[in-house]
Amino acid sequence: MLRLMTETAKLQMKQSFARPMFRFCLIANPFLNTILLYEMFLGAGEEDFFSYVVLGAGLMGLWSCICFSSAGDINRERYMGTLALVFAAPSSFQAVIYGKIIGNTLLSLFSFVVSLLTAALLFRVPVTVHAPGFFAVAFLAAVVSFIAISSVIACLLTLSRKTELYMNLLELPLALLCGFVFPVEMLPKPLQLCSALLSPTHAARLLRMSVTASPDRALFLRELAVLCVLTLLYLSGAVLLYKRIDKRVRIRATLDVA
Amino acid sequence: MADAVIEVKDLKREYVSTKGLFQRSKRVVKAVDGVSFCVNRGEIFGLLGQNGAGKTTTVKMLTTLLAPTAGVCRVLGHDCFGEEKHIRSRINFIFGGEFGVYRRLSARDNLRYFAHLYLLDRKVSEVRIEELLALTDLADRADDLAETYSKGMIQRLQIARGLINDPEILFMDEPTVGLDPVGARMLRDIIRRLKEQGRTVLLTTHYLKEAEELCDHMVIVNHGRVAVAGTPAEIRGHHGSLEDAYLALVGGEEDASADD
Repeated sequence: MLRLMTETAKLQMKQSFARPMFRFCLIANPFLNTILLYEMFLGAGEEDFFSYVVLGAGLMGLWSCICFSSAGDINRERYMGTLALVFAAPSSFQAVIYGKIIGNTLLSLFSFVVSLLTAALLFRVPVTVHAPGFFAVAFLAAVVSFIAISSVIACLLTLSRKTELYMNLLELPLALLCGFVFPVEMLPKPLQLCSALLSPTHAARLLRMSVTASPDRALFLRELAVLCVLTLLYLSGAVLLYKRIDKRVRIRATLDVA
Repeated sequence: MADAVIEVKDLKREYVSTKGLFQRSKRVVKAVDGVSFCVNRGEIFGLLGQNGAGKTTTVKMLTTLLAPTAGVCRVLGHDCFGEEKHIRSRINFIFGGEFGVYRRLSARDNLRYFAHLYLLDRKVSEVRIEELLALTDLADRADDLAETYSKGMIQRLQIARGLINDPEILFMDEPTVGLDPVGARMLRDIIRRLKEQGRTVLLTTHYLKEAEELCDHMVIVNHGRVAVAGTPAEIRGHHGSLEDAYLALVGGEEDASADD
């Protein structure tokens, strides 16, 4: 199973990088978002460039790549006629989907490098991680949480043929709800409730905390615990959903478009 | 019946679609409406019929891709819905057309990936991949991206993919569609070789001469039901050719509108 997931991740990285849209999401999107966010923050008199401009643009890039790849790939495979072949193979369909998501997420992390380089080289934004240990933990937790939320989305999209519509619907609202580029406290209270249920909100908070001069250890651990609980819930939900979809897709005939 | 590897009895499949936001109306299309047939081990079996007759839907149910609405659908002694784990490693399928391969990968990488999906041992799969590339005449272009291939080459790659796990039963849904005469001949030779090796092939095709040449038994389905079953000679009967017999059974009718 591990070999299959590794091979699928490698194949996915190869395939994704070959697509111009993915390269746009991975390279051009964080580059342009970094410039845009920098100018907006500069104009607003804000100076927390690293937390919101670099990390914000990186998170947006990562999320776009996930939306248009991990989610979109289900549809691409459906139209290529390979989704049915993968589904009917004796290996675990779930392992294949996880392999795809892991491959995409790892490759998508490059968007952080792009936003970091853009901010550092173009605007001389100081790039200092004051607590590397906290940052490493936050980064790892963030990656796992993105894999978890992608697996739920990919699973749900296997059931529908309207994948493109849903992935377009997901991209920007989630970036706003999760406070990638501004604190979620600025949102109306009912929306903040939605934000709290989304794991990327906590991943973004953790990342921001870890780059500040002196992160509050207790607050960091509390946020990490919330993120871990949500991630576990998502992963459990995905496992349950995969069991259900295995039958549903064959009853509803959504594996292909023929 | 002892060596029947495919058993289909009164098999039905309906497609349900809904329309409208508030006043939802339901439309039910009966794609397969009580089909029955048996395929014995080692034979080439033809499933013929018009577009929309229910051939592809039947093949999809047999290959564990679709759930039957009712009836018996068993492959190698196991139910296709619920016991698919016992079937999947022992069968494979090829759908006609240019789909079913990763176009941004080379032929070799495509086959390697499907070998992983079929949980084949690395050493075994490398040998098998070379054999299949040679068999389908793709060895010279094995490392070029599939998106640079002609239609015929993509179909040959599909054939190689369908043979990657050395299946006991190979399902082929219109595999010669769009193939040039050389490619079609190659495919027919591969099918004959599979038969010699004791493999079972279930084939759907619109090319009646091809079916007559290859198949041991066949059924002609029309509007989701079996119109006639038997050997090509039995179906031909007093007609001059299989085509005449086919036209007498289903001819003169418009293509069915249901999903095939």
